[in-house]
Amino acid sequence: MKLRTNSYAIVTAIVVCSLLVASFTSWRYSGIGAGWQNWYGALCMTAYCVGAVGVIWLGWFWLKLARAITSIARQLKEELIAEKRPHVECGTKYLDPRFTRGFASTVKKPAMIKELNETIEDNFTKYSCHIAQLEKQNKDLQIQIQLLQRQKANTEAIIYSLRDAVIVVDEFDRLLMANEAAGKLFHFDFKSSQHKPIDEFITGDKSKFVDFLSQTKYSQVEATRHEIEFSQDETAKIFDCIISCVYDDRQQVCGVVAVLHDITREKQIQQIKNDFVSHVSHELKTPLASITAYSEMLADGDADDEETKKQFYSVIQNQAKRLNRLIEDILNISRIESGLIKIEKKPMSLTILIEEQLQMIKSYAEEKSIEIIAQKPIVYDQVYADKDMISQVIINLLSNAVKYTPCGGSVKIDTMVDENAGTAQVTVTDTGVGIPKDEIEHIFDKFYRVDANKKQAKGTGLGLNLVKQIIEKVHHGRVFVISEPGVGSTFGFELPLAIGQAVEAV
Amino acid sequence: MAEKKVLVVDDEIHIIHVVAIKLRNNGYEVISADNGIQAFELACEEKPDVIVTDFQMPGMTGLQLVEKLRQCEQTGDIPVILLTARNFVISQQQQKDLQISQCLSKPFSPKELLGNIEDILYHKTVG
Repeated sequence: MKLRTNSYAIVTAIVVCSLLVASFTSWRYSGIGAGWQNWYGALCMTAYCVGAVGVIWLGWFWLKLARAITSIARQLKEELIAEKRPHVECGTKYLDPRFTRGFASTVKKPAMIKELNETIEDNFTKYSCHIAQLEKQNKDLQIQIQLLQRQKANTEAIIYSLRDAVIVVDEFDRLLMANEAAGKLFHFDFKSSQHKPIDEFITGDKSKFVDFLSQTKYSQVEATRHEIEFSQDETAKIFDCIISCVYDDRQQVCGVVAVLHDITREKQIQQIKNDFVSHVSHELKTPLASITAYSEMLADGDADDEETKKQFYSVIQNQAKRLNRLIEDILNISRIESGLIKIEKKPMSLTILIEEQLQMIKSYAEEKSIEIIAQKPIVYDQVYADKDMISQVIINLLSNAVKYTPCGGSVKIDTMVDENAGTAQVTVTDTGVGIPKDEIEHIFDKFYRVDANKKQAKGTGLGLNLVKQIIEKVHHGRVFVISEPGVGSTFGFELPLAIGQAVEAV
Repeated sequence: MAEKKVLVVDDEIHIIHVVAIKLRNNGYEVISADNGIQAFELACEEKPDVIVTDFQMPGMTGLQLVEKLRQCEQTGDIPVILLTARNFVISQQQQKDLQISQCLSKPFSPKELLGNIEDILYHKTVG
């Protein structure tokens, strides 16, 4: 390396001197113009030739050096990447033999190259670490983006699948998000309405909802709750509307989200419940009023004679029985509706069951001189049912028939089996007062009593509802009624035959 | 002094019976009806001093009966006592507008009813 360095210095000096001599002779004696004809011409030409040869040699030297450095740098990079060598050794082994032939044996990496190498190595290590960190951060961000996208998709799927209407607006009341239920309720298409002010497409009787949104936004409260009545599909619907403010990171209201839950059914149930409680209260208080009044009269000595006293006691006793019946009926209906009643279904014969109930009603019918026409025995009438409950149904229908049939009339009970349909049908037909046409649809309702027939007989208005509950709810059968005022009524029920069930004697 | 006449209206025959006995025992003449329509006709014909009526009756409710009574010149100022098995069926304002003297909730005491009738008749006489 030393020889080469010296040669480089000598050659450089010769080139400089040659160029100086050539330049001087050319300037002083117009040497190059004289050619080889005089001494200064020859000197000038020789100086140019020597300088040219020197420049060519220096060019070759620099070319080899540059290639050697490039080779070292490339090799260093390759080795660092491969992490084969944590330390970089100095020496000629990094020189590409193609460029160091006749040169590498003597040329060692100079201090500058070593320093360059170390800098490259440091920077490379530093930037490699940085790149690795960035790559890791990039991967984390990608994962986070994927998670957020998945969460967004899930949230949207949840909101879109909600049956409650959900509407989100920004601080300028422009629509940001809405689900299908909201679109259906307010009659708008989300895609075409997005970013539009909601008062452009929520109008008419529904505009009060827009007012509530604005009120909530300016009310300085986190959420408000309203009960709103809208017409949907030509029916009045009641919605429980919860409107909440959406806050940005500066705790400023940046939008409002509204959730509308349809509470029409709940309201109806509440109304039914209130009506039921009111009816029960009235029905219980009526016999109780008689019991209280008559007992007070007895206690105060208002009954003068034994006959009156006896009459008072009788009224108290009957009203107490009525009260008991009423409570039993209410409890039975309540147990059936709540599913708490114990049901013991067995295959049983309807004919035998009817026979038993006819015995019970016989004396009541005789009191009113009402003829009971029983059915003819039939071959197969097995149904899969709860004996006590069906007994209750039959006795309710029979006692109703006798109750509302004037003295001297008749009550007929029939059983029919439709083997093709797999059903057994029991009908009770009377020659009673009948039911007006417009009241037939309510006849199985709780506490419903035909106004015109109330004088005819006492009743709780629960007997037929109990029949309906037992047949339809417990036994999945069907009840029906045909009636003509002044002619009579036919009440009946239909139960599935116990085909394929083990038959037991009742 | 002539017997005071009370019209008792209820679809429950036992209630009419017990009220009638209590009032007759205390020197009142009692007429009765088991529905609103019949009660209105009786009120027009007999012009009772007091009417005691049940709230819930088939056909015409006690409240509808009072409204009809107030619209009629002959019966417009007859004091009315309303018997009801349902609480809070009428508001104070409604009671005032229809000039219902008293609302008694079932079960009621015949003694208390008698006391109310006597009070009403006393105030009517004094007033």
